[in-house]
This record gives sequence, C-alpha cells and structure tokens, in this order.
Amino acid sequence: MRPILLSGHERALTQIKFNPDGDLLFSVAKDQQICVWYSHNGERLGVYKGHQGAIWTVDVDPTSTFIASGSADNTIRLWEIKTGRCLKTWDFLTAVKRVEFSEDGRQLLGVTEKRMGHLGTIVVLNITPDVDAEQSDEREMTIVCGESKATVAGWSYLNKYIIAGHEDGSVSQYDGKTGELLDNVPLHDLQVTDLQWSPDRTYFITASKDKTARLTAARNLEPLKKYTADTPLNSACITPKKDFVILGGGQAAMDVTTTAARQGKFEARFYHKIFVDEIGRVRGHFGPLNSVAAHPTGKGYASGGEDGYVRVHHFDKGYFDFMYEVERERQNRL
Amino acid sequence: MASKNRDWADDDEGDEVTVELPPPQTIQNKDGTKTTITYRYNEEGQKVKTTRRIRLVTHREVVNPRVAERKTWAKFGVPEKEKDSPGPQMDTTSIGENIIFRLSTNWRQDTKDEAKDPNANAMKDKLKDKTVKCRICNGEHFTARCPYKDTMAPVGAEGAAGDVAAGMGDDLSAAQQGGPAGKKGSYVPPALRNSGGAAGEKMGGNKYGERDDFATLRVTNVSEMAEEGELRDMFERFGRVTRVFLAKDRETGLAKGFAFISFADRGDAVKACSKMDGYGFKHLILRVEFAKKAA
Repeated sequence: MRPILLSGHERALTQIKFNPDGDLLFSVAKDQQICVWYSHNGERLGVYKGHQGAIWTVDVDPTSTFIASGSADNTIRLWEIKTGRCLKTWDFLTAVKRVEFSEDGRQLLGVTEKRMGHLGTIVVLNITPDVDAEQSDEREMTIVCGESKATVAGWSYLNKYIIAGHEDGSVSQYDGKTGELLDNVPLHDLQVTDLQWSPDRTYFITASKDKTARLTAARNLEPLKKYTADTPLNSACITPKKDFVILGGGQAAMDVTTTAARQGKFEARFYHKIFVDEIGRVRGHFGPLNSVAAHPTGKGYASGGEDGYVRVHHFDKGYFDFMYEVERERQNRL
Repeated sequence: MASKNRDWADDDEGDEVTVELPPPQTIQNKDGTKTTITYRYNEEGQKVKTTRRIRLVTHREVVNPRVAERKTWAKFGVPEKEKDSPGPQMDTTSIGENIIFRLSTNWRQDTKDEAKDPNANAMKDKLKDKTVKCRICNGEHFTARCPYKDTMAPVGAEGAAGDVAAGMGDDLSAAQQGGPAGKKGSYVPPALRNSGGAAGEKMGGNKYGERDDFATLRVTNVSEMAEEGELRDMFERFGRVTRVFLAKDRETGLAKGFAFISFADRGDAVKACSKMDGYGFKHLILRVEFAKKAA
C-alpha cells in the first residue's frame, strides 16, 4: 500500500471529507483555505478562498453540488464545488466548529463555539438546492447547549434526530424538527472530538479524548461497542464494505514537540467493528491524526494530521481478504 | 545520436551476424493464448530463441457518469502554473513510501517478532559455528543445565577427570543417596554438596576461577571496532583458544576496549602474552597481560 501524500496546506488539518461518490476529497486546515482533490490520483482540483480564519469543518451535500464550511472567522460559507464560487455567508457571534448537511441536503446544521459570553449553540439553516438561487438568511432552528457546549453534531437517519457530542463527554439526542432535547447519555469521560455516521445513519461512532471510541445507536443512544486505544482520539470512522472502524489520534498537539514520533502513537488504528479487537495500524504521520475519513466505497481511507499532510490510502487485496475464522466458516456454510 | 552515424563505441558486428535468423512465428493456441517465437543473437554471438505465451484480457471498468464528468472540470483557485498542467502536481502531491499493512488479530505480536528478528538472526549467525559443550559431562548443553552438575566435578578438574562414562553411573546413585537435604530438587549449599567423595580435593581453591585465570590473558586498549572473531583469529596463532570475551556496550554494541582470552594451555598463553603485548591493532597498541584473579 503506497499512500498518496497531499501537501496543499501549510498548517494543521482540521477535517477531511469524501463526497458521496468518493472521487473527491475535501480538506480543511487552519490555513484559511479549502482544498479539493481527486482521490484516485491526488490531483488538486481547486482551492476555495475567502475565509478569514482557521477553518474547522467542511461537509459535502449529497449531490456533490455544494460544500459548506465553518470557520473561526465566525461564518459558515456555502460554496459551489465545481467553480469554487462562494454562494453564501452566514455570520455568527462565535466560531463555527462543525457543519453537516442533512441526508436530503435541504438543511445544514452548524455548531457554534461557547465564547465571549455566548453559549454554544446548534443552528439549523435551510438550503435551496440550486446553485443560482438566493439562500435564506434565516435560522430555521437554534438549540442552545446550556450545560456543556456541543463540540460535534450530526443528522441521524431521515433527519429524525440531531445527535450532538459535548465537551463533558456526554452525547445528546435532539428532535430533528423541534430541537427538543430527548435524551442525554454520558458516554465518554472527556470531550467528544468526532462523530461520524454509518452509511445508513442508524448508528454512529464517537471519538473522545478519554482514549475510547464508541459505537452507539441513534434511535435510543444504546451503546453498541467500545474501542479502547492507548492515546487520546481525535477522529473515528466506520469503513463500508468491511466491518472495521478506523481511529485516529495521538499525543495532544501541544505536547508533540516533546514526544518522539515513535512514542507519539501517530498511527491510524484499525479495529474490527464487531469483535472490538485491534487488527492493525498504519503509521506515516509525524503529528497526531486530526481527522480520518473512510472512502464511501470502502476501498480506501484518508487521514489528515497535525503535520499538515493528508495521506490517501488505497487498500491492497489483503485488506479485503482478511476474515476472522468464524466469518470464514460462516461464508463456507452459506 | 542519429542511427545512421553510429557511435564509435557501438559494436558493429551486429550487421554481419543477423543474416540467418529465422523469422519470428506467431501461433494461435486453442485456449485463447498466443505463442510468439522470436530469435536473436545475444552479446556473445549465440543464437537465442525466445518463446512467449501471451493471454490478452480486456479489463472493463464502469465509471459512474457523475464521476467521469467531474474529472473534466477545470481547475480553479490554484496557481496559474498548476492550472494549465493536467495530472497531479509535484509540489502538492507525492507518493509515500510503501507501507506494509497486514491485518491480523495478533498483529501486535507479529510486529514485535519482526522487530526482534534482526537481533535474533544476528545472534544465531554468531552462534552458528559454536557448539555448546558441558564442562562437566561433555554433553551438548550448558554447564549450568547439566544433570550431573551437583554430583560431578568438571572434566579436567582434578578428581573427577578420570572417566566420564563410569562417573555417570555413580552419579545417578549419588543423586539418589542425596546430600543432607535428601530430595534432589531442593537447594544444597555448595559446601555440603557431594558430601564426602571428591569434595576434599576441591577445597584447595575455586575450581573454575583457578582453571580459567591460569591461562587467561587480559587485553586492553582494544579498538571500539574490534570483533571477537578478529581477536580469536589473532590469538589462535599461539594455541587453542577456549574462550574469547570482548566487553561491549549494551546499547551501542561497540567494544568497551578490553577483552579476555582464555587458552587451553598456559604455555601458549605465555607465548601469546609476550608476542601480542604492544601489537598494533586497528590504530591502537594492544596491551596484553595475565588476568588477575577475581576478588
């Protein structure tokens, strides 16, 4: 497996995301620009310029027409993927830490930071799925997180719930229409750093600073699996096609200079989704992994690190052939 | 250089010998493969027949039309230079080194084994031509593991030197009779071991120490780069060397600068001591003296 190294950013990566077809890879970093790459060969298609602060988050709409980005310049921006044109800017009072399109692409949620006397909120915006249409300025809904600010959030299946991870390690379930808090479960001991969905959005994986990642059902927040690592985690994703999860993390960014690369645990860790065993690691970054993303077809994954590199991996045959003994037996019986 | 003006360095014999080559053949096989046979002369002027079997497979890949369309998009927001040139750019995209990524339930163990391997192999190589020989019964095990170590004196030490084979029978019975402690597995202080018998004769001194120090040389001012093998080669000229010990730093693996050489015969040791003292070895002058007995 020879990874493709993308070095389009000058500062630490914050999030990377594949579009639903998996041919484009979006990367955002603290250097104020968004890059889009062809995932098969690592060619850069374009750069979206306009943000005035570090960009924390990016998301692609289901039709690969728009991307939305959230930045420390207190804005969410909507861009046309093809041309790099900025279509809309929504201004907020504080930095935007997370954006995500709903399953149908008609709504966009944003998580705003708690700062300067403002409480952390989750806002929902309506999106008109037309490049030339005027986007509405109005907030469809605002959920205020009084107790502990939300760090990540996402839409469940059919936009039924909004699931949010909080700074105190708890995960809440809000009604997708009314914004009413339905449930709050203390899943983690420390801050939730990432939340990514299964392909059908019925369950999700959360990564946390408490060195664990958890698989949880969206319907009732029932804990399904727990993956324990030996380092704080920054990101986790579920691989399609094979039943694995990928966790990324490493020594906290501020401690990196005092740590050797070998001891920093800057590796992507593969766990079996069902059996919860760690089954392999991929090294390569020389800083913590800030974001991992699985290719939507399951044939590869990408990781973005504090070192400013994105590494795109296409799996070898051995990856797809790997099976537990019980899985193989079952396959033989069928 | 153009083909007409041949380089003077080119071999121009080719023109003469290419006369009688049979024409290349192509045969269509029944199983869908093609066999091509070609002839050529190799560098030594010998005729070489090359037979190739070729199977042509058409591999068709269906690409999502949306994906195909996106591949034709024009670049934007990138530097001018990058905009005009298709394909990945050198300054933003590179290929990383190959990563061996093998999934396994016990990957942790696997990687550990790999890490250990080089050392283990090096050790194996070192020990390849050394045979383990017990000092007590001459068997192929370490002296410490010898089943007779409590009951027999080492070969060569006075007393038990006599005959090993006969000794073994005695030993077994001796073991059964046991020391004062009775049971074989329990610890018996050396002083009480083998009560009676040969013990008295050994009282004279430390059996191992005396024997070793008797013909052991201490070599100092040894180069960092020295290897035990080199020392052995140098000293073997004077007689049979039973043991070479070169002190090495545990972490760096470099020699610490001193070594001990044990000879089988003290006469050889004396000779070696006089000859090798002051011998130049790897830019340093060796200092050789008889080892002092350990305190």
